[in-house]
Amino acid sequence: MASNGTGERLSPGKHELIDREVVVDFEFEGKLITAHQGDTVGSALTAVGIDLLSRSFKYHRRRGLLCVAGNCPNCLMTVDGVPNVRTCTMPVTGGMTVRRQNAWPSVDHDFGSILDRMDRLLPVGFYYKVFHKPKILWGIMRPIIRRIAGLGRVDTSSDGGPAYTHRNVHTDVGVVGGGPAGMMAALEAAATGLDVTLIDDQPLLGGQLLLDATRHTDPAIDDMQDGTGQEIAEVLRQRVAQQPGITVLNGATAFGFYQDNLVSIHHGNEAIEVRAGRVVIATGAIEIPMQFENNDRPGVMLASGALRLANLYGVTPGKRAVVITADDSGYSTALALLDTGITVAAVIDMRPEPGTSELAESVRSRGVEVLVGHRVVSASGTKRVSGVRVIGPDSSERNIRCDLVCMAGVWNPSTGLLLQQSDTAVEYDEQLRESVPVELPEGVYVAGAITGIHDLKITLAQGKAAGRQAAGFDYEDASLLRAGERDYRARMRAPGSSSGSQTVLSNPVKTAKKEFICFCEDVSSKDVEVAVSEGFGDIQTLKRYTTATMGPCQGKMCHSSFIESAALQTGKTIAAIGRTTARPPAQGVPLGALAGPGHMPRKRTALDDVHRRLGAEMVEVGPWLRAHNYGSPQDEVVTVRNRVGIIDVSTLGKLDVRGPDAGALLDKVYTHRFSNLREGRIRYGLLVGENGSIMDDGTVTRLADDHYFVTTTTGNIDAIEDWFNWWLAGTGMEVFVTNVSSAFAAINVAGPRARETLVKLTDVDLSTDALGYMRSTRGMVAGVPCIFLRIGFVGETGWELHFPTEYAEHMWNALMEVGAEFGIAPFGLEAQRVLRLEKGHIIVSQDTDAASDPLDAGMRWAVRFDKPDFIGRGGLVANRSRPSEEKLVGFVMHDRFVPEDGQPIVKNGVPIGRVTSSRLSPTLDKGFGLAWVPEKLAREGAEIFIRSGKTDSPAIVTLKPVYDPDGLKLRE
Amino acid sequence: MAFLLNCPNCGQRNVYDFRFGGEVLTRPAPDASNEDLTAYLYGRENADGPQREWWNHNLGCRKWFVAVRDTHTNEVIETSWAPDISVPNAEESDGQ
Repeated sequence: MASNGTGERLSPGKHELIDREVVVDFEFEGKLITAHQGDTVGSALTAVGIDLLSRSFKYHRRRGLLCVAGNCPNCLMTVDGVPNVRTCTMPVTGGMTVRRQNAWPSVDHDFGSILDRMDRLLPVGFYYKVFHKPKILWGIMRPIIRRIAGLGRVDTSSDGGPAYTHRNVHTDVGVVGGGPAGMMAALEAAATGLDVTLIDDQPLLGGQLLLDATRHTDPAIDDMQDGTGQEIAEVLRQRVAQQPGITVLNGATAFGFYQDNLVSIHHGNEAIEVRAGRVVIATGAIEIPMQFENNDRPGVMLASGALRLANLYGVTPGKRAVVITADDSGYSTALALLDTGITVAAVIDMRPEPGTSELAESVRSRGVEVLVGHRVVSASGTKRVSGVRVIGPDSSERNIRCDLVCMAGVWNPSTGLLLQQSDTAVEYDEQLRESVPVELPEGVYVAGAITGIHDLKITLAQGKAAGRQAAGFDYEDASLLRAGERDYRARMRAPGSSSGSQTVLSNPVKTAKKEFICFCEDVSSKDVEVAVSEGFGDIQTLKRYTTATMGPCQGKMCHSSFIESAALQTGKTIAAIGRTTARPPAQGVPLGALAGPGHMPRKRTALDDVHRRLGAEMVEVGPWLRAHNYGSPQDEVVTVRNRVGIIDVSTLGKLDVRGPDAGALLDKVYTHRFSNLREGRIRYGLLVGENGSIMDDGTVTRLADDHYFVTTTTGNIDAIEDWFNWWLAGTGMEVFVTNVSSAFAAINVAGPRARETLVKLTDVDLSTDALGYMRSTRGMVAGVPCIFLRIGFVGETGWELHFPTEYAEHMWNALMEVGAEFGIAPFGLEAQRVLRLEKGHIIVSQDTDAASDPLDAGMRWAVRFDKPDFIGRGGLVANRSRPSEEKLVGFVMHDRFVPEDGQPIVKNGVPIGRVTSSRLSPTLDKGFGLAWVPEKLAREGAEIFIRSGKTDSPAIVTLKPVYDPDGLKLRE
Repeated sequence: MAFLLNCPNCGQRNVYDFRFGGEVLTRPAPDASNEDLTAYLYGRENADGPQREWWNHNLGCRKWFVAVRDTHTNEVIETSWAPDISVPNAEESDGQ
């Protein structure tokens, strides 16, 4: 790889963004390109003579720089694996890799460009018309079409690309747009002492002024007498930097504008949500392309784009230019190009008379031909524009040779962001010949070129007014400003008016197949004509049929031309055509920026380190990481059944429910009754929704008269806490519900030798006489205060110990130490699942679903219909009166075959039920599990068949647990 | 959905901080008919206009409160603590 320098550059300009002392290297399709610090990828490539930047969406036509402002689709490339990056505004950084996209084998030699000559095969709406007969053809063509069309490809082998972050900003006044109006508004608002956030999508504040070398007298800024637009921008920029209270976001694209003034911003690898008290929209106007054949050739640029290249990056956009203009700005463009040493072959003024004749004269005096009342019909050249064909007012035609065409003076107010708000309206203004805001929501103000007025003095006054109003004050000179605006409009009405947009359709009579309205989707004026003749006269259907305005630029480049073209073809006025609907995003945003970093919390118990040291395999359970096993789940099951095991159950949800009405609340939300639970007793608790379906389960322990300790399943705790509080709201009940899940660690000690282990660490009498099954007490274990719950999820004698989290590791180690002589070992989630399944204990949402109620799940015993009311009673009463459709039962296979969870129970090949949990039973040495079956099969000994693949395996229904069916072990 | 909601406890916060709890419904009496029960379980007003609804300040104080929101404009007209339902059918006597 060899570098050939930073290319040919113009002599240094006063307002350029590049640092000519510093060079930066980046890789472009295997070649090393040297750029200056401050260059964008687009400017650096143009500087070294690469003007072919992309292939178009449909016809694979050659495209080069057009807007140089991050608006159009022409410079989309893949940068560091991220597709569709706008390289004209993407700053070069050292070592970045850049490649062009949507071409095969390469953008320089694209096989797909043959499509440009096959346009007859690809009429507008071809997707619905051709390749459909015979039917098989579409199946072949669709994947090909999809491969050929489209933009960059997502790198599926990537490990996730850049790390995106999210940030929230709260501000008094948000100002979108950093041109003269935006800067003025920010200054005025901040001067009142408010906090202001100024959002601009360009690298440097200034907007259109950055390109404005013409002199303005008395700009009404401080004591400034006069200055060029660039100098005025500099003064404003310095004032913004010095004004306390203004935060500037450069290179930040506002793409969404939502209710209550929320502005969503894409800023590098960050998505920012700015919540503003009030908002000033000063997004300006975007210069847009004119209509003539081959208006998309590389070298055909917007005047502002060409000037941006020259003024900001010192890159020459071409050697011999033709400027087409619809207002006076074409003359300033011509002068600015001449100043940089570029030859200007001609200025083609589309107006019947030139505006300010002095400007035209000063251009003429520098040897430039000025053609008034002329239009450009087409551009010539294959790889790059080589000339334009011009038609005069007398219909005479001639060719002018050039390698750069600058299209000047047709503006489209940037209302894409503003219009996302409801209560906003934009209307076509016949005088200004632009669609401008006429209705604004409360707290939103506009200023600058978005209002359709292109006059610096008025723009600055509008900015001041908007800033004052956004700060909550009146603007003193409001009447003066209105008079200025009226005067400007009056000037617009005059024939050959000095500024303001003209029609964009240079040749309104004839359409052409390659005269592009929508550059993103390759939609031409001919396509609009054909679509309208096919009946798509309404702007909404026309948009969907042609796909115009639906590409990456989101209508920025094409919306007005599209509407104007539709008006022309339908014979309606532009106002009557209306507009398509503006929706977020106003500009494409990487999905990664929207998604942001992973928001899934990862919770670890206080014993996490212990599990890892023991070599546990960890699994995700809701937000938690739990130990699945410590090597052999089978051995762990044996440990619990024959000796003693311990398991970390800290992830259980835990609620402390306290107060005089605690019992009443629990009676209300649970199916069981708890107000009559004696102190020191535990009862199984089942929560159902109002329709009677099972929501959650756990234990409820009465610690004292007005104090209960409630456990819930691991994943449901937050929802259950909300559920309790919801049913408390407005009742006036005196209860506090406190989520103590992370305050308490919990370890379950279970197995025939659990008692022998535990007595070594506590003085609490653990005998069944003193602390029987489903009893609770409080006491010290290994010096730590504990709540003892004698329960038996795994089916053995055992105690669930709940204690302050900070002692978790100490407790674990103490238990392991004293239990060593009894063969203690830890067991994980998998062993627990096998053990509980042998006891027929359900896991909510594994064995139940949204339609399962306690009656069908075999838990009628947990429902107290004798309570006059509880949540879900009505639903359960209704269910009770209907015949049950299916029941949850146990089943045992005839052999060691273990069906998979979810496999169907079949009868005569038809599914009639499903397996919810199944494992190999160590007790029976057979496959077994839980399943939903029709009620008539829910009897001891019934035969069912479980389908696995193509085999139906027989199993026997059992209504009792396969291990210790009478629960004697639990009570020992 | 990006509006602001006024939590009676914490003040105005981003709607992302809240959990929506649905329309405020009147729970039927325990001996209600099947029709009333079905209407309560599955019937919703789905008003096009002001609607009383439950909100929980999930990422804040975790309190439940009631908001009156215009579903057409998304404007939050008022927020308040839940009405006192310690007296049976207080809501009906309230004219709701």
